[in-house]
Amino acid sequence: MLLTADIVPVVLATGATARVNKRVAPRFRVGDRVRVRNHNPLTHTRLPGYLRGKRGIVETDYGVFAFPDTHAHGLGDKAQHCYSVRFTAREVWGATASERDTLRVDVFDDYLDLD
Amino acid sequence: MHGIHDIGGMHGIGPIAPEENEPVFHEEWEGRAFGLFGATYVFAGYTVDEFRHAIEHIEPAHYLESSYYEHWLFAFEALLIKRGIVTREELDARVALLRKEAE
Amino acid sequence: MPVPHNAKPESEPALRVRALEAILAEKGLIDSKALDALVDTYEHKIGPRNGAKVVARAWADPAYKQRLMTDATAAIKELGFSGLQGEDMVVVENTPEVHNLVVCTLCSCYPWPTLGLPPNWYKSAPYRARAVSDPRSVLKEFGTELPDTVEVRIWDTTAELRYLVLPERPSGTENLSEEQLAELVTRDSMIGVTKI
Repeated sequence: MLLTADIVPVVLATGATARVNKRVAPRFRVGDRVRVRNHNPLTHTRLPGYLRGKRGIVETDYGVFAFPDTHAHGLGDKAQHCYSVRFTAREVWGATASERDTLRVDVFDDYLDLD
Repeated sequence: MHGIHDIGGMHGIGPIAPEENEPVFHEEWEGRAFGLFGATYVFAGYTVDEFRHAIEHIEPAHYLESSYYEHWLFAFEALLIKRGIVTREELDARVALLRKEAE
Repeated sequence: MPVPHNAKPESEPALRVRALEAILAEKGLIDSKALDALVDTYEHKIGPRNGAKVVARAWADPAYKQRLMTDATAAIKELGFSGLQGEDMVVVENTPEVHNLVVCTLCSCYPWPTLGLPPNWYKSAPYRARAVSDPRSVLKEFGTELPDTVEVRIWDTTAELRYLVLPERPSGTENLSEEQLAELVTRDSMIGVTKI
């Protein structure tokens, strides 16, 4: 497809959602205590290194999205739930961190286990 | 991959030093680089994830020293060369030609 | 040919971008006018004034705010903003107890339809390294100090949700029109590095 100037506005207004219209069972529910897997591939991932092994609580289930780890390598969308998971700053960064602050990170189903 | 881009929490990185009233593009070429994303995405068949992963392969020191749109340029070249749409030789030859024309 | 007095040699990235655009256009794979349109759109048409309108509407209209907090993508689209890098929006609300801060530690994810393209500092290593682990020192660099009783909530944009901070409405603005309210809203307050 050739992108021409006249269709730029509609292409921008439509965008390209990563949501996938597939019914996929979530492994977690809001309120679940979870632990981030020690997932450390050489290939693409959207799990930040700082989060590996950390414990948090599922705050929101955002629904079903393409999984970046496979999607980046032409291995399909492996559609799965993406959650907002809450972590305390202390849990992630240790005792020097604020007692009160929290992190909210968007974490894919495959990155988590029940704690 | 746990590459240089995976930088959350790293210490010693220094001040943010935000620029006041910065322009959307600091140089004309940055705007062209930005435009190349949409223009190549629609025909080359790469995903945003693949594009990001290409950037993750930039050599760490170069990643930190180079500007944001240089990262994009690196990714375009890698993705388009990988797909056989352009070759490194073609690009280098054209750059040499443009440089000569400017003299 | 003599170099004009003030000309500086084109940088290497500039030459490479020119080369790439020229070769792709010659192969008929891209249309340079589309690049012109994209540059023009993000330089002049899409920017933080969009997000400011969303914030002002939320301040002025409680029913709109409710819709914004329930389905941000749909509510933002009501005002005509949608699409690329804003397909799945989440609005996070500042309160006296909670201050939200948005970062993308892994790259530069940012809600384009409401805020335009991100500033360099947002995409650079210092912000990405420190916002997530020492947000208060980051806020201080922007002149924002928060008491320990306030929870700083840092959102790391690791997936395709895009976050917009709904700043607290400043006091003494009860009589302002929606347009006047929008003028108060800064881009930095919608990222979360400042309060209004």
